Amino acid sequence: MSAAMAAKRGAISLTGITRIFAGTIPAVDHIGLEIHPGEFFTLLGPSGCGKTTLLRMIAGFETPDAGQIVISGREMQGVPAHKRAVNTVFQSYALFPHLNVEQNIGFGLKMQGVKAAARKKRVDAIMELMQIGPFATRAAAQLSGGQRQRVALARALVNEPEVVLLDEPLSALDAKLRAELQIELLRMQKRLGMTFVFVTHDQHEALVMSDRIAVMSKGRIQQVGPVLDVYEKPKNVFVAEFLGLSNIWAFEPVSAHEARTAIGVLNIGETLAGPGMAMIRPEKIWLYSDSAFAAGRPNMFLGKICEAIYMGASTQYRIELHCGEFVTAYDTNNQAAERSWRPGEAVAVELKPENIMLVEA
Amino acid sequence: MSNIPRGIRRGLFGLSLPVYALLYLPLSVIAIFSFAPSLHHPGINAAAYGALFNDPLVLAALRRSITLAFGSAILGTALGTLMGFGLNRFRPATGGGFWAGTLPSLIIYMPIIMPSLVFGISELIFFNLVHEYTGLLSAGLLTMGIAHVTFQSPYVALVVYARLTGLDPNLFEASQDLYANPLKSFLYLTIPVVRPALIGGFLLAITLSIDDFTISFFTAGPGSVTLPIYIYSAIARKGSSPEINALGSLMIATVIGVALLYYFVTRHQQQRSRQIPAVA
Repeated sequence: MSAAMAAKRGAISLTGITRIFAGTIPAVDHIGLEIHPGEFFTLLGPSGCGKTTLLRMIAGFETPDAGQIVISGREMQGVPAHKRAVNTVFQSYALFPHLNVEQNIGFGLKMQGVKAAARKKRVDAIMELMQIGPFATRAAAQLSGGQRQRVALARALVNEPEVVLLDEPLSALDAKLRAELQIELLRMQKRLGMTFVFVTHDQHEALVMSDRIAVMSKGRIQQVGPVLDVYEKPKNVFVAEFLGLSNIWAFEPVSAHEARTAIGVLNIGETLAGPGMAMIRPEKIWLYSDSAFAAGRPNMFLGKICEAIYMGASTQYRIELHCGEFVTAYDTNNQAAERSWRPGEAVAVELKPENIMLVEA
Repeated sequence: MSNIPRGIRRGLFGLSLPVYALLYLPLSVIAIFSFAPSLHHPGINAAAYGALFNDPLVLAALRRSITLAFGSAILGTALGTLMGFGLNRFRPATGGGFWAGTLPSLIIYMPIIMPSLVFGISELIFFNLVHEYTGLLSAGLLTMGIAHVTFQSPYVALVVYARLTGLDPNLFEASQDLYANPLKSFLYLTIPVVRPALIGGFLLAITLSIDDFTISFFTAGPGSVTLPIYIYSAIARKGSSPEINALGSLMIATVIGVALLYYFVTRHQQQRSRQIPAVA
């Protein structure tokens, strides 16, 4: 392997990828992406957005109707799934029912012609790492959901692939186990340094695990970027709403930094070029008692609490402003929070200009 | 079951007794009468069994039945397995559509639904026609074998198809993903996971063939009398006899034996693939 290729090991480059199933609406529509070596990359989107189809094309189970897939510097057109240095963790795990745990994990090595002794060594090592040694001789059907998930992951990792593809691997698990495995998966990925391409429809999971996220909708990529950017600076209304609750208003510019919205005139940090949409996340809204209201202070409004939903670490408030519009705000429940509010209480809210983002419709 | 009122449960149990009686009493009658006294052997005895194994006609018929059963079952299983795979690949749910999915499956199942009388007669006419014009396929074990394969293979196809639909479709992709080329995937995944269905289909094909009278009767030739045909003609000539009862009893024992064999062969595999509740 040349130095240039070594540098690209685990990199994926997609150009103009299109896949059209029966009918005319593309499942995947001209997708271009650069996935860097060793990063945890997530394809996030609602069901039917084409994320799984895209993953299946990288794995070699589907052939793109147009476009180019390059993995580790090699063009993949015409390369069948069994010749790609890529391994998949399936949503259904797809463990072989006629083999026990050990044999399941060793399957890929056996198919590559690795001798029994060397195979056993590598299988034992990965079972040790994943803490599944005690189940080595059990049949797949005798394992719990979490154990199956570990075996499926071990079966992929033992081959030391350039890229690991994961198709909603945690969706069948209960919340607690899921949270544990998210962290475990992440540690494993950092430790082994392999590129992980992770498909999920769960925005929380995507935020927890990813280095970068591509948000998909209707076969197209809406936004790609580091987790923080995608959440804090969503490009459009779809991304803003898919990644979490948000307050969004249409506006008409009054001046370069003033926008007229349904709740009143807002000062906005960014420079306004024309009419558009303004967005602010609920946790970026400041809540005060109404006595703190200072008339004339920009971006401050009076209102009253109409709903308070206690969520443990924070409380979600729905506030009706005097103008009749509603805003949603989060307040943390730690000591730093001024106090908690009850429905009916009068409050003042402040939307700081630097926290208001412009988004495309 | 336990929430059904006791009265109804008892009623259902009572109702099931005559059903079991109708199913199994005639079989027991045959077994009992095979030990009945006959002309040369007064008193209850097993002479009929001895006579059976000394009768060259019976032994020849048995040999033909077994040859026919194994020969047709091997071919029927091979063909039926391929049909099962085809049905699975193009099943309507996975985009086979009418022409590629529904229609072929109807055609494949037709021999199961078709009355065997109609089936037998049409085979007879067909083989006669072919023989008339080509001189090939004169009535005999070969024509019987072909006819048996045609009705065995749909049953085998059904068994194999049932096994395949019960499998996670991602399994085959998983094997490709783990560096198995199509041949290796077939050898190390497909064959092992469908093995119980292959064995089950094969045993089913054997019992279907040994048991068949109607279709065999129409496709048989002068020198190809199998056990069921022998039994029929023996009864037609001189009515029931201890020898015929003994032969019937042996056939019942064979079928029960095959059923038990199938159970023990597939039990292990079924246990493995059954969902067992999580252990810690």
